[in-house]
Amino acid sequence: MVQLNTGFTLFLSLLVEAVPFLLIGVAFSSLLLFFVDDRQLVGILPKNPLFGALVGSLIGVLFPVCECGNVPVARRLIVQGAPTAVSIGFLLAAPTINPVVFWATWVAFKGQPEIVFMRVGFTLLIATTIGWVFSHQADIGPFLQESVERSRFRGRGGETSAASPAETDTPALLQGGTFLAGELGGSFQLDTPVAQRLVANPVIEQSVASKFELALENMVRELRELGAVLVFGSAIAATVQVAIPRETILSLGQGVVSSIVAMMVLAAVVSICSTVDSFFALSFAATFTSGSLVAFLIFGPMIDLKNIGLLLTVFKGRAVFYLFGLAALMSFALSLFVNLYIG
Amino acid sequence: MRSRSSNSSSPPQPPRQSRRGSGLFWREMLDVLALGVWSAMLFRYWFGGKLLLLLHPNYAWLSNSAAIILALLALYRAWQIFRATSASRSASASADSAHVTLLPGNLSSAILLTVAIFGLIYTPRAFASQTAVQRGISETLSLTRARPQRFERAATPEERSIIDWIRLVNVYPEPDAYEGESVDVKGFVIHPDNWPDNYLMVSRFVLTCCAADAYPVGLPVKLTDAAARADYAVDSWLSVTGQMQTETLDGRRQIAIAPTAIRAVEEPRNPYEY
Repeated sequence: MVQLNTGFTLFLSLLVEAVPFLLIGVAFSSLLLFFVDDRQLVGILPKNPLFGALVGSLIGVLFPVCECGNVPVARRLIVQGAPTAVSIGFLLAAPTINPVVFWATWVAFKGQPEIVFMRVGFTLLIATTIGWVFSHQADIGPFLQESVERSRFRGRGGETSAASPAETDTPALLQGGTFLAGELGGSFQLDTPVAQRLVANPVIEQSVASKFELALENMVRELRELGAVLVFGSAIAATVQVAIPRETILSLGQGVVSSIVAMMVLAAVVSICSTVDSFFALSFAATFTSGSLVAFLIFGPMIDLKNIGLLLTVFKGRAVFYLFGLAALMSFALSLFVNLYIG
Repeated sequence: MRSRSSNSSSPPQPPRQSRRGSGLFWREMLDVLALGVWSAMLFRYWFGGKLLLLLHPNYAWLSNSAAIILALLALYRAWQIFRATSASRSASASADSAHVTLLPGNLSSAILLTVAIFGLIYTPRAFASQTAVQRGISETLSLTRARPQRFERAATPEERSIIDWIRLVNVYPEPDAYEGESVDVKGFVIHPDNWPDNYLMVSRFVLTCCAADAYPVGLPVKLTDAAARADYAVDSWLSVTGQMQTETLDGRRQIAIAPTAIRAVEEPRNPYEY
């Protein structure tokens, strides 16, 4: 009974601490979605692969979206012809390198500030490297899903405005929610009026009032979905803390390698939004190595179950596999370094 | 959005669309309810004073602002539904069919609503001894975790709280240095298994962010002569005054309180230290 009470209190505490940050996150991403014209951004992006990857990794500062919002934005960047290095850098780094996530991580790990800085630094390093690696593929086309590839070329030719089958997936670019693979066909076609309204450049053709209304609606929708995932994440964190014997957790969590592997698996499975994942990690701070916490905080926002579904709407399976593999290996290596030489 | 909600009662609709519109109506209502109850839950913690059991007071304003924003969102959605219904708009019931998600929208709303109702009913409890033991109270005197963010030596020893003592000892661990200093601390009782019967521990949980990172700290109390620790129930709250002295416990020299007075007290409104 005491255990149960502790579990519930933990669960609620995680939720109550995380919900404000979730609200800020969805508010930002919804407003930016409808008020920022990213086409102007694409025009000024650097072409140099390494520098481009670095810049791409830092664009998140302007787009404080978590990993559910960043895939659609990255996709929009790709369609509008942004260099590969920039898009990949953005895709991997944006959920972590942005003010809201930094603040939330800071609140959670104020006692161990090095974790906050390692999170940002390592994410930057990994995202820049992977962006740079991907830029060696001269044309990113073969990596993309065909529908994205098609709209990409159209996007180069001119503005997408006519309603044609190729465009039915375009609204996905403009909505910041979550999407699953294989849904590009029929389900979007049910929705063509909304789709067209959104495809028509939202920045230019909507009045401020209606943009605001769209943003609010988007906010409620993201809140609903990410909130449900947050509830699951908090429940798992609370259960692990009260239900699994301390000895088991300690033996897993104090192992130099086992702790990192455990936290990376947890990060991939739990799929908790990057604006609030630091609170989840915090509940493991007492029992897990610093390196494993860092692994959780850098790997989770890049790749997780929820996000793989999203990635598959943009990239082909092989490309997602490379992204996943590179991100996992680099996260692991860096965290191991932390455990061996810093923590 | 206006266009998303359609009226369930508008007469000239084909049955299929009408059913769908009505489903949509309830779905939107579910949203409003979920948002509203979440807000109510946060308001309850705010005014019921239980928020301090969950969060560090520095972050209470975040939760309180969220309560207000969620209430506004709920009102806004409710107003939208009302407007759509009264205008008899039968516009496309497209909803967010374009928006395929990991969880169906209804399910997400239902989960959120359920959790919020639970939070509204359930009263959080402060952590107690069992959690302290689970989280490793025995290690706290050689504390690895609590690096002091600020360190100030309280003017008089009897003003130090348990965590002040622990931080002090971490900086300067020689127990003899504290010999004879007055102690006046409040905490809950733990009976560590491996301690003799005439010792108990007064302890507190310390928060840096929220209950998720609460870690326990405690000071040993050496009971005088006849009194055994069985006289002081586990988890009961005590105010202990006395002097510090050096004892050997767990095979280690460490500070322990030699009490002059032990009084039972109520659990404080804010049971944590920071």
